[in-house]
Amino acid sequence: MSDAMIIVLTAGLTATALALLGPFLVLRRVALMGDAVSHAVLPGIVAAFLVFQTRAPLVVILGAAAFALICVLAIEALRGTGLVASDAAIGLVFPALFALGVLGIHRYAANIHLDLDSTIYGEIAFAPFRTLDLGGVEVVRSVLIMGVVAAVNLGLITLLWKELKVTSFDPDFARSIRFSPTVVARLLLIAVAVTAVTAFESVGAILVVALLIVPAAAAYLMTDRLVAMVAIAVAIGWVSSVVGYAGAVEVDASIAGAMGLTAAVIFGIALLASPRHGLIARAVRRARTRRAVERALAEERGAQGAGA
Amino acid sequence: MAPALDIPALEVAHLTVSYGSTPALWDVDATFPSGAMSAIVGPNGSGKSTLIAAALGLVPSDSGRSTIFGRPAKEAMRRVAYVPQRESVDWDFPITVREVVEMGRYAEAGWLRRISRSDRAIVDGAIERVGMAPYSRRQIGQLSGGQRQRVFIARALAQEADLLVFDEPFAGVDARTEAALLSLLAQLRDREGRSVVMVHHDLQTVRSMVDWVLLLNVRAIACGPVASTMTPDNLRRVYGAADIGAPAAEGAAWVP
Amino acid sequence: MGPLIDLLPLSYTESVVVVGAAVLGVAAGVLGALAVLPRRSLVGDALAHSALPGVAIAFLVTGARDPASLLVGAAIAGLIGAFMMVGIERTSRIRPDAAIGVVLSSFFSLGIVLLTYIGTTGNAQQAGLETYLFGQAAGLLERDVNVMAVIAALSIACVVLALRVIKTTLFDRSFAASVGVPVRVVELATTALLVAAIVIGLRAVGAILMVAMLIVPTVTARQLTHRLGPLLALAGVIGASVGATGALLSSRAEIPTGPVIVLVGTAVAVAAVLLAPGRGVVWRWAHRRRERRSALSSGVLIDLETALHAGPPPTVDELVLASARPRGDVRRGLRALDRAGLIERDDDRLRLSESGAAAAHAALDERRLWSAWLEHGWRLDLGDAREPDPRDLRRTLGDELTDRLLGFDAEAAPS
Repeated sequence: MSDAMIIVLTAGLTATALALLGPFLVLRRVALMGDAVSHAVLPGIVAAFLVFQTRAPLVVILGAAAFALICVLAIEALRGTGLVASDAAIGLVFPALFALGVLGIHRYAANIHLDLDSTIYGEIAFAPFRTLDLGGVEVVRSVLIMGVVAAVNLGLITLLWKELKVTSFDPDFARSIRFSPTVVARLLLIAVAVTAVTAFESVGAILVVALLIVPAAAAYLMTDRLVAMVAIAVAIGWVSSVVGYAGAVEVDASIAGAMGLTAAVIFGIALLASPRHGLIARAVRRARTRRAVERALAEERGAQGAGA
Repeated sequence: MAPALDIPALEVAHLTVSYGSTPALWDVDATFPSGAMSAIVGPNGSGKSTLIAAALGLVPSDSGRSTIFGRPAKEAMRRVAYVPQRESVDWDFPITVREVVEMGRYAEAGWLRRISRSDRAIVDGAIERVGMAPYSRRQIGQLSGGQRQRVFIARALAQEADLLVFDEPFAGVDARTEAALLSLLAQLRDREGRSVVMVHHDLQTVRSMVDWVLLLNVRAIACGPVASTMTPDNLRRVYGAADIGAPAAEGAAWVP
Repeated sequence: MGPLIDLLPLSYTESVVVVGAAVLGVAAGVLGALAVLPRRSLVGDALAHSALPGVAIAFLVTGARDPASLLVGAAIAGLIGAFMMVGIERTSRIRPDAAIGVVLSSFFSLGIVLLTYIGTTGNAQQAGLETYLFGQAAGLLERDVNVMAVIAALSIACVVLALRVIKTTLFDRSFAASVGVPVRVVELATTALLVAAIVIGLRAVGAILMVAMLIVPTVTARQLTHRLGPLLALAGVIGASVGATGALLSSRAEIPTGPVIVLVGTAVAVAAVLLAPGRGVVWRWAHRRRERRSALSSGVLIDLETALHAGPPPTVDELVLASARPRGDVRRGLRALDRAGLIERDDDRLRLSESGAAAAHAALDERRLWSAWLEHGWRLDLGDAREPDPRDLRRTLGDELTDRLLGFDAEAAPS
């Protein structure tokens, strides 16, 4: 496999893993919980290093998941007091956890070989060089990990499809048939956290948010079917990976950044040109209606004039 | 079928619920017979929706208990189809009519399992019954208010529950749909012996279509058969000065 | 800011950082309220992130790391981001949270691409990005602090001058529009002020932690006052104290300033939410508990009175059966009544003491009065929109009205 293919594959799998979850965040109006959780896992990564002195993915993932849960519970607790609005609760909790993580890195960076760069910006260009020996076969670490995470996410949303659907669409009803919206929401956010932390290495914290939300939001503008929305989000993720990589190589800029930017451009196109919900389609429809009404009114007036 | 009180469909005793320090419900006792259509009636803020939610165990109560067909509410929820008010629904959600009605079978399927072929047949039947078959592939937001409510009633039908509980089912619904849905509910009662409890604001409908009524204003003012319960006196006690639906409004023509 | 910096009993560099953090705190506190009160707190997050491409472009255009032009670039990009956010929300089905997320990550991606492009064209190091994200309070110069202070003073002056217009718009947008307030202009102006606060903060705490600086002071102040004017003043004071304390702590412990300030601030906000008098979680919990207990014991008291009325003194078990309350509740209620000396135990049978009988009657009266209020309250013709406290009707209604209410009740009672 060429380096370019490895990078595109890693990027595509990362985008897939994120785009599978993003639609549910967007539909539940908790897109920013994704942002919050993906920042809040930082102290979990640091704690995993400190306690176990390892960068083994499983340990890191557990640490991250623990802090994602702490973040979600803390936000819920603050909101539950009725004294803090939910947006402010999010904005209080995740910077605090993130700050904790930054302090941890600063304090112990020397002995744990962990730097901010790798978690904040990520560097997908190194993906081909990190390989694992798996029973004599050399596999690219990032492709393997992101592939597993994407598969797990796919399994998760397939398994929880109807639970996700009913709790997102009508939480009151879901509660009455004992499908707890809270439980489903927590599972979803833990999945987001796990995906985010594995994606950090490739695309960094903030582009995780880009690939989580932007494809899902663009897909939301293009369809009225949930299955289609998820599929389109994943497709946008892949297009962003391929085009982003090509663009980044062309101008010699950050691959992850170019991926995020491509996704943003696709969102812009969807906003303007989506067949049903796009601005152009709506303007055309409105103009057509206005003309039709004007014509009908004119005919009516004409008929009256003829009658008089 | 005659209303049966030996095992009531829904019964609450000493139910008290408060939000903060103001009571929303105060020591409410009420019984809704099985095989009957019952309504909960009262002014705004009288705790009608709270009563339903608390009786079904969906909001915590300060004291009191509630039973469904003689069993504690928590154990008997399988036998209940609840149609909440439509505030929490997101009409832009990418979901079709059919998918919404399928949700009525979710409880039967349980967590993680897909709904079965027989569930699908039940869903088809429910959609057919409310006259939404031509629209089953439409996105929910593209329907009118009346059509939307038909969908949610179809979902309740798909649950095949013995007790159907509706919170303001006809808010924002056109008169034709309301009449059609009410006669559908009456059919369910008469042919299948199902019980219906609904919060309703239109006293006229309650008088003509419903068998049993609870007059509620934080406390239960009166509970019983419509004819003997909806007396002008009781209505004044519930509504105070604004006694809508008193005999004057019912019989006398409006004279300018 | 020179005199202030000289006044502090600290080394010069420490003083500069502490004063800088305090200035940032004041500005973020006062201006953050404009985002937090209308529940758009996380707009600050998006604005801070969307400043990045502005910084990068300013750098590309001027070719130098001149702080002033970088700030201008950040401000312009932030404003464009704000426009886009509003545009996406208004014109499509995308909700505010997703719109914030889309703008935040799109601008940030663009910023990263531009920065790495700059990095590879050899003009500068990528180090600027880290400064931008996490701030570099230690590198603040007196000149920077002066610039920050001027921007802060101007922005706060705008808020003070336009306080009434801002208040109307924040509270009820459509009303404001109906009385001729140019709502769009006000919203644009408040967003611009928010951008100013963020521009001030970027140097000191960086983009990611800036959102906390905007939120902490308002959340804290909101627990302590209900009025907008005092709230803004208090938020400024809280922001300044948090900033200065955090800066001082971090310079003493030699750890990064931004995170310390944020952690101090979060601790303060959480403490306020827990402990605020008359409102905080702890206070309300105690209040609720007291109320529940008294409601329970008076309920059990009435149950006992009713049972005594109906037959011989009941045992605890009989009372549980009669009252339809959980056993634990009845026992707890009885214990409270026992302590108050309201009941007497006769072997295992329960009776009311003399004071207990009086208390039971008082509680029954109270309950009857409450019933009468629900049923006949509308006939009282209260001149105002009084809504009396259901737990203490007689005091809140006054004796005269209470007696009339009981009169109605007696009339209506079947004789």
